Amino acid sequence: MTPAIDTTALTRRFGDFTAVDEVNLTVARGQFFGFLGPNGAGKSTTIKMLTGLLAPTSGSIRIMGEDLKEKSAEIKRQIGVVPEGMALFTRLTANEYLRFVGRMYGLDKTTTLERTRELLEFMHLADEPKKLIADFSHGMQKKLALAAAVIHGPKVLFLDEPFEGVDAVAAGTLKTMLQRMIARGATVFLTSHVLEIVERLCTHVAIIHKGKLVAQGSLEELRAGAGRLSAATQAASALNSEPGKQSLEQIFLEIVGASGETPPEQELSWLS
Amino acid sequence: MAELSGSTGALAAMTPIPARVQLVAVAWLRWRLFVNTFFRRRSKGKLRIGGLVFAIVLRIFLWPVLAVMVLGPVAFSGFLAWELMSEGHLRELTPVLAGLMIFWQFVSINGMNIATATKTFDPSTLTRFPIPFPRYLALRTLIGLMTPSTIVGCLASLAVAVGIGIARRDLLLPALMAMAAFALMNVFFTRMLGAWFDRWMANRRFRELFAVLMATSFVWIQLAIPTRSSMHEHAGHAHQAMTRPDLTRPDLTHPVMMPWYMRAAHNWAATLGWLPPGLTAHAILSGWHLQAVLPRLAGLLLYAALFLAIFAVRLHKQFLGELLVDSPSVASKAPARRAERIVKAPAAGAAATSRARVSASSAESSAEHCLIPPVIAACMRKEFMVLKSNTQALIGLFMPLIFVFILERGPAARHVEYFLPTALGYVLLGPVAAFYNVFGADGSGVQFYFMAPIKISNVIVAKNMTQLTLVAVEVAAAWGLVLLLAQDPIPLSVEVATGLWLIFFVATNLAFGTLRSVQAPRRYVPGQTRQLKQTTPTNRTSSLLVLAVLLGGLVVQGPITYAGHYFHLPWLGAAVFAVLAAGAVGLYLLLLRSAEGLTLKYRDRLTEELCKTG
Repeated sequence: MTPAIDTTALTRRFGDFTAVDEVNLTVARGQFFGFLGPNGAGKSTTIKMLTGLLAPTSGSIRIMGEDLKEKSAEIKRQIGVVPEGMALFTRLTANEYLRFVGRMYGLDKTTTLERTRELLEFMHLADEPKKLIADFSHGMQKKLALAAAVIHGPKVLFLDEPFEGVDAVAAGTLKTMLQRMIARGATVFLTSHVLEIVERLCTHVAIIHKGKLVAQGSLEELRAGAGRLSAATQAASALNSEPGKQSLEQIFLEIVGASGETPPEQELSWLS
Repeated sequence: MAELSGSTGALAAMTPIPARVQLVAVAWLRWRLFVNTFFRRRSKGKLRIGGLVFAIVLRIFLWPVLAVMVLGPVAFSGFLAWELMSEGHLRELTPVLAGLMIFWQFVSINGMNIATATKTFDPSTLTRFPIPFPRYLALRTLIGLMTPSTIVGCLASLAVAVGIGIARRDLLLPALMAMAAFALMNVFFTRMLGAWFDRWMANRRFRELFAVLMATSFVWIQLAIPTRSSMHEHAGHAHQAMTRPDLTRPDLTHPVMMPWYMRAAHNWAATLGWLPPGLTAHAILSGWHLQAVLPRLAGLLLYAALFLAIFAVRLHKQFLGELLVDSPSVASKAPARRAERIVKAPAAGAAATSRARVSASSAESSAEHCLIPPVIAACMRKEFMVLKSNTQALIGLFMPLIFVFILERGPAARHVEYFLPTALGYVLLGPVAAFYNVFGADGSGVQFYFMAPIKISNVIVAKNMTQLTLVAVEVAAAWGLVLLLAQDPIPLSVEVATGLWLIFFVATNLAFGTLRSVQAPRRYVPGQTRQLKQTTPTNRTSSLLVLAVLLGGLVVQGPITYAGHYFHLPWLGAAVFAVLAAGAVGLYLLLLRSAEGLTLKYRDRLTEELCKTG
């Protein structure tokens, strides 16, 4: 079976700055895939390219076996996206927004209305039907953005920091929904800084650092040191005495070359 | 939720989404966005009656203005076309159409500013939906059709055709056909220009260059108008001296007597003939000679197709995911370089800490010796640093001084008692308007003022002092220029009166400006053309108040100066303005005393508006 996501030498430059550098990424169908990296590593740029919101400088992207550039409109019908800024029309109500999105994805009126109602109830957004999205809290907006991303039943879901600014109750709702999607055969590709969530939800992980993919594989493979792509990260794994018992956070810090501890000479000694 | 199949062939098996469905969905979106503007935020769906009434009242006041703005050019175009045809100046139809084309683009650029100021919908966001490119192109073309430029331009084109038809009935049908093609060409030309303009404006250097170009052209126009007036006067004198009694006006067909733009058009006639205005004019004037008309109409349609194609090329890049912002490389590299410096010099950490302690203590000691309290000094330094990085604002500071030269060529310069006050009033309009949104450029940084252990009134004082410094520099420069350019010495009474009026004007605007800055802030991103302005009743009230106080302050000057002149009381102005200045300063100080409480009262509105991200 062809992978859900497959990139070859994916590169994006901004002037003389390379944000994403020759990334070869493969995500099999049905995987819950976590895409990790420090701030400014190139995660959001990659996700924008994978969803057709940003053109790559070079390289290719295949979604569900089809070239994104060639079959952009067809692929967009099969994917759902929660982009970085959520891209909501804030002067609409939640109901109006979902109805608009449903129609744009080609759903008929009855199905759109039915799914709008179901999604609003599932996300606990149905209580105030006339409230404008602008008046929603950050967490409510995130839930609405996710509802809009799945209204058409996508096969691949891209989520950029879906749990950022979301309370525990809302996060629980989102997790339940994502796990149900995975159970039904969908592929979820998410970026997150909350490594515990990624560790709990994702079966496979890739780590990007300074625009380069430095690790890719299942959590077990990364713990065993097998998924590490660069010589430096492999050496770091070899030095570790108990690679099989590492948490994702330890693996991440090891791979990106930071211990999380500050040398004594750089400590802010004046802090009480 | 729908069951998800996993077959590769699923994409091929999908039925395409009908174009009608997506076009109707976008139309419905636009309609809902419009309807929802009548609902206040946090109103939970209740109609904003106050806003609606305000909008209606505002429109009643604005309609005559808008009517003049729309009907003026339309009527003028029609009348000009009629006159040229009636008088037999057929060759001048080309420059008239060229003028109409330029005017169309001018309205378009200004219309874009109006649209971005109130927009709630960015059509480029539609690229994330499954839309094929031809449909996206159609959507983008249709969405931009109901713009002021299209409405005014199309009506003016129709007026030209009607004007020609009234003067020469036999040309009515050819004129209607040619002007329809001309309008179509202009619609696509405007869209093409707009799309490329957006692309260029995404570049900071271009924005700065554009600001300079706009400012220069604006000044050039202002300088050109008095020059044109004097040329007309000169032409009038020449006409009187002429010995041809049968002529009631100068012979405009004679190159020497022609206005400059017509002379230029004469010189460029051959070139203009191949451009859209020339093709249109020739198509009209060819009348019913199909052999002459059809190739020209085809030429016009070819131009339209060419502009549409160039517009499509630009849109296609956007469709594929072009990023219309400045390269993030500089922003991304700066922290990296800083981090590099920290890593490279870890050993120097302790020494740096001790140096920092020394410099901090020296800063404290220097602040103790400084007349300005440290908090105010720090805020002022920050304001000047922000200003230094905003080239457009810096250019804006120097531009008003050119108005002094413009005024020197006008009637104000002939009456020495009016020259100085008029020049200063003109120069001050721009800087004083900035008093009304002092927190605008702070954005979400405004929260710092509420978190830091400082008095917010000190921040306001710092901001006002920065603005006053700039005003003082501009006033000093303008005053010096007036003294240099004035034809006669300016009496001391006029200088004193103007100085006192200046204090009154600035202090009044500072008082109302501070009040409105707190009550009706508006987020402003320096150096960006697309501002996050959403029209709210508070913003509209603020705009009207700014206008009222600014104009009121200016208008009060005239009658008082005139009364002093009329009653031969040269010091009357000084006496009246002294009282007004004292009152205004008192009002400002009073407001400053209550600024702390006032700011805390409106803290929610300030942070909500200024922390907006989209």
